[in-house]
Amino acid sequence: MTRGKHALLFMAGALSLAYLPTSHAVPLYARQTGQACVSCHLGGMYPQLTTYGRFFKLTGYTLGNRPNLNDLEVQKDAPPVSIWLQGAKQFYTNVPNGSGAAPTSSLNVQAVSLFAGGKITDNIGAFLQWTGANAGGGFNSAIDNSELRYADHLVKPDSDLIYGFYINNHPTVSDVWNSTANWSGNFMGFFNGGTAPVQTPFLDNYAPGDAMGAGAYLYKNNTWYGEVGAYKSVTHGPTTTYFTAGDSGATLIDPSPYYRLAYTKDIGPHSFEIGLHGMISYAHNPTAASGGVSDWGGTVNTFRDTGIDGQYQYNLAPHYFSAHVRYLHENASYAADQVGSTVSNASNILNETYLDVSYVYRAKYGAMLVYRAASGSNDATLYSTNTASGSPDWKSWTPEIFWTPWQNVRLGYQYIFYTQMAGETGTIPGQTLSPHDFNTSMLYASFIY
Amino acid sequence: MKTISKAFALTALALSVAACSNIERSRNLANPRVSGSTLAQQVCASCHGGAVGQDNGTSINPSYPNLAGQQAVYLETELQEFHDHSRTDPAAKDMMWGLASQLTTAQMKQLAEFYAQQKPHPNLNQNDPALVASGQKIFSEGRAAQGVPACATCHGPSAEGNGPIPRLAGQHADYLYKQLMVFNTDAGRETHSEALERPHGVAMDAISHNLSDLEKHQVAAYLQSLR
Repeated sequence: MTRGKHALLFMAGALSLAYLPTSHAVPLYARQTGQACVSCHLGGMYPQLTTYGRFFKLTGYTLGNRPNLNDLEVQKDAPPVSIWLQGAKQFYTNVPNGSGAAPTSSLNVQAVSLFAGGKITDNIGAFLQWTGANAGGGFNSAIDNSELRYADHLVKPDSDLIYGFYINNHPTVSDVWNSTANWSGNFMGFFNGGTAPVQTPFLDNYAPGDAMGAGAYLYKNNTWYGEVGAYKSVTHGPTTTYFTAGDSGATLIDPSPYYRLAYTKDIGPHSFEIGLHGMISYAHNPTAASGGVSDWGGTVNTFRDTGIDGQYQYNLAPHYFSAHVRYLHENASYAADQVGSTVSNASNILNETYLDVSYVYRAKYGAMLVYRAASGSNDATLYSTNTASGSPDWKSWTPEIFWTPWQNVRLGYQYIFYTQMAGETGTIPGQTLSPHDFNTSMLYASFIY
Repeated sequence: MKTISKAFALTALALSVAACSNIERSRNLANPRVSGSTLAQQVCASCHGGAVGQDNGTSINPSYPNLAGQQAVYLETELQEFHDHSRTDPAAKDMMWGLASQLTTAQMKQLAEFYAQQKPHPNLNQNDPALVASGQKIFSEGRAAQGVPACATCHGPSAEGNGPIPRLAGQHADYLYKQLMVFNTDAGRETHSEALERPHGVAMDAISHNLSDLEKHQVAAYLQSLR
């Protein structure tokens, strides 16, 4: 690209920033309701939802106006799409861990997401995300968090019931309390996590597209929430291009159930949630290669994940505060043919602890602290980083500060530091590394329209 | 495999059934056929209070004003100000402009009447007795030396309001204080009457300027404690 083109692009970017509306209307949901980000996101801290934001999602993204796509000019409507750009400069301290090269500190466009969805009918709405992510040196695009909902809201003089159904592309996409894996934290992941060997329960590891699920939920009297769903990987047909087994490294051929129960209560500006959630994942191993081709119809490893989760929010301008907690217990049992090859034990346990607190002043100046840790049974094959103990245990802290000059622009700095890795606080046996060698920080800018 | 196929089939069925949606339970803000009472229960209730635990129009979070028993004329005026974007305080812009932008005059009238008919409830927020006592004095006597008339003169002896003058009894103190600060805003104005963030609240302009910050808190606390 010539220098002139660069200048032109920069000017176009600067102009588009200059003409951004400072109040209502950013991405597609804001355009649908005409409301500002803070209406649905606590202090504007997406993805954290307010009570009203939860209502919006539980009623199937149907509140508001559907853009009239046939006659955009007359209706002054925008098409129901949005774009999210994230750029970052990441700083690594870590070095090669066994295989793989050390990530280089780089300045780059980290992720580009396209969103579509919103209100389709009075009862049907969608959240569809497609993300191109710059991970590990390559730029890959794939379907991201996506769901389609049908919902209804029955109001009687003495009762209130929201119920609905959804189809989505991995467990916990349906979460509205930001206390399960998919929507917790600040949503500004490091685009290259480096080679830190962090172990998390199976339920946390589902990537979008790993498994398609269908579920039903109800929310009674703004108090009791119940949800059941079942997930299965897409193994045949043209859509396997888009929905393929990803991070979990296994395929759900049998339906795997997901459930959630929660009790909620709002008192003045305070909002509370406490609940249980869990999933039993029947993860099939690949078959032995036949004619050079292996398939996903092999033996089954079963992961039973049971979690307790909670949320507290304070939502009263100019102060916004939230805290989330999750404790997830995993009981994994492995198929006989795996023992001695991919794992040492016939069964393992892994317990995850997640905590976060965040505060935003005037929906502009914020800080967040995340504590995340896991501990479990030692397994010399599965957790081979530590050649002496085979321990999976790790602990990390992630402080972050951010500034939101406009509601759709966020600038931030976050730093993840590890106080324990592979069961060790010092040098890990079999490695030349200590936990702090995996520390990473990132300066990021996020823009969404 | 069969179970999940059935689940998908059921969901698909539910989705196709949904094509014939019920206008009595619509959250569509741009359909003039949706009644004000439906919008109140399907949309407004999520912030301003619904049927359970609190009656319609009695909100839990003090960010959002109580609407139950509010004067219909006042509510209609405010909805019109949100609709035509003439009320410009930040909360109005952020929350209400979009919601009201495509409402019809008839819908706004129905919404106003719906909330005017709801029974107001005592405010459950905690009050500081010292603030309440001082606030009562301002409410009933005013501050003659500061040019502040008694609030009761216009808002009524029980702060019940009158036509375009809003009911204040039982309103959230946080909301009342923030609105007094809205009337107190001079930003971008050359004269007091120009571009007031709440154009129909021009009578409150001088009053809010003449009340000290503490006095604003006192009168807000007293009004919140009224039943």
